[in-house]
Amino acid sequence: MVVERGDVERALDKPSPFGLDLDVFRYIVEEPSIEELRVLELEEPVRRASEKLGFDGVRPSYVQVDQTALYRLLDRRLREQGVIVTPLRVALEKMDLARRISWRLVDPRSDKYTALAYLRGGELGYFVYVPPNVRVLTPIYTCLILRFERRAQIAHNIVYVDEGSEAHVVTGCAVPHGVREGLHIGISEFYVARGAKLTFSMIHAWSPGVHVRPRTAVYVEDGGEYVSYYMTYNPIGSLQTYPQVRLGEGAKAYSASVVVGLGSGDYDVGTRIVLEGRGSTAEIVSRTMGLHESRVKARAEIIGRAPEARGHIECLGLLVSDKASIAAYPHIVSENPGSTLSHEAAIGKISREELEYLMSRGFTEDEAKSIIVRGFMRVDAPGLPEVVRRHVDSIVSTISKLAIG
Amino acid sequence: MSLLSLEAVSVCVDDRIIVRDVSLSINPGELHVIMGPNGVGKSTLLAAIMGLSHVRVCGGRILFNGVDITHLPSYERAKLGISLAHQVTPTFRGVRFLEVAKAISSRFNTDWRSLASPLRVEGLLSRDLFHGFSGGERRRAELYLALLQNPKLLLLDEPDSGVDVDTLRVLAGLIEDVVYNRGVSAILVTHSGAIVEKMSGVTRVHVMVDGSIVYSGDPSHVIPVILRYGYVKGLEVLRGGC
Repeated sequence: MVVERGDVERALDKPSPFGLDLDVFRYIVEEPSIEELRVLELEEPVRRASEKLGFDGVRPSYVQVDQTALYRLLDRRLREQGVIVTPLRVALEKMDLARRISWRLVDPRSDKYTALAYLRGGELGYFVYVPPNVRVLTPIYTCLILRFERRAQIAHNIVYVDEGSEAHVVTGCAVPHGVREGLHIGISEFYVARGAKLTFSMIHAWSPGVHVRPRTAVYVEDGGEYVSYYMTYNPIGSLQTYPQVRLGEGAKAYSASVVVGLGSGDYDVGTRIVLEGRGSTAEIVSRTMGLHESRVKARAEIIGRAPEARGHIECLGLLVSDKASIAAYPHIVSENPGSTLSHEAAIGKISREELEYLMSRGFTEDEAKSIIVRGFMRVDAPGLPEVVRRHVDSIVSTISKLAIG
Repeated sequence: MSLLSLEAVSVCVDDRIIVRDVSLSINPGELHVIMGPNGVGKSTLLAAIMGLSHVRVCGGRILFNGVDITHLPSYERAKLGISLAHQVTPTFRGVRFLEVAKAISSRFNTDWRSLASPLRVEGLLSRDLFHGFSGGERRRAELYLALLQNPKLLLLDEPDSGVDVDTLRVLAGLIEDVVYNRGVSAILVTHSGAIVEKMSGVTRVHVMVDGSIVYSGDPSHVIPVILRYGYVKGLEVLRGGC
């Protein structure tokens, strides 16, 4: 993709087709900087934000606070396996691969957020490379934190899992208490090479007044596998994201998103998967909850372009507050008669019958609500590492208490 | 002392009396069957024993282990050891069967794994609870969850409704097993009587008509007559008519 800078500059005014339109010039983009990460030196508010994500006790390989990238020297074991985790800016200086694949999956002219990231982001964000036939079973944690008022944080992340390899990346994004306004833009480009596997878990814990615009694109080569798990569970100003995944022959993708709408937040969350290769398969599972006065839109689209390709969408919504709203937009498009696609969507509330049923099984009304909410949000993404699963479970337990008041 | 005693219990739904003056005593390890046509109040009676909120005891009292539970909420009764296998179950969209099973087994300190196999529900545990279940799957799942409560008294509301012959055998065998080998008491409600044909150890059969128990007797005597003649003619026969 050849990109003219002038075209990108013109895209700075281009709104996204989805979500609230924001004035990106309202936010301050600081000069990017890169430092070595020493956890003991992390400021207390930053550490607390990281704890909000349940990241206390884990050793993130990359932390970005506003526009400062803090990277940790890699564990010896990862170094020995040839794994690279480094700020993207450093990778772009040193690695031909990084330069070749940067901005190849996400077009910087897509909208004003991608344009701002391209022009002003300074290529902060992380770069992860896993060499061929290496299984990295320990999750690689990264953490993005918005620390100051009215700042725009921009991260550009690239992950390349080479042929026959496996990696698990966990990214948490949060703000410390007291940050009332901010903008987070995350550009993510993931490459899953032939026969490789990548699981990517993203957990968001923002605050009211923070607007979030992740832009993610994934390419999975023949026989590769991509598993995505996304969860947001704190109040937010607005969130709009619509990751795009393309699958080669026999490739698989599973995308689960759990969105807990809180406060007066505006959430517009989707996933689009294109089945380009013969025999590729995709499943999109979306769980949304509407609390308080939140507005949640759940989008999902699978496009079948190849024979023997299969895709299924499940969008379920649970409306907890009568002042909230949930809309589901499952969409399937077949461009090849040999592809099989299906979808289902349902939005409801916790019914009296469900509560009564569980109460007859020995639970109080609040316990019954909690079982329903917890069960609703607990989506089993296949292949997530056990440690990530436990982490997500503990968050789900916390949310279920929050949801029943 | 009886495990369960119903003393002239009447049950109302809204302002209508559905069950009238029913008295019944169940001892530990006994299996009682209540038969009757559709809509005579059998399920309402079980709902009242369980304490479901859509029914109200409007006369008499219910004693469990000698304690008056007439006004206890259902979850307290469940904790005392009463468990109902519902006839009509809500669908839990987005909530996996396994999540609910684990919650119940954790509450009652039972093992969700060991019961799954005899009731053939392993393949259902990853699905949303009751969503798209066939009649037989629903009945097996219900009995499974009811048994996870490790009950002293098991209430079975039409467990033979909408199930095939094989499932009927599985359910009948399991119910008899928990009654005879584990000393659980049970009240089984059925309108067709299909399941009682597969059972050998029913303690007593009660026939219910228009909200009242009109006949009680020995199963070897009552069941063949009802199954052969139906309720109207069968009751005449049982009462010594032609």
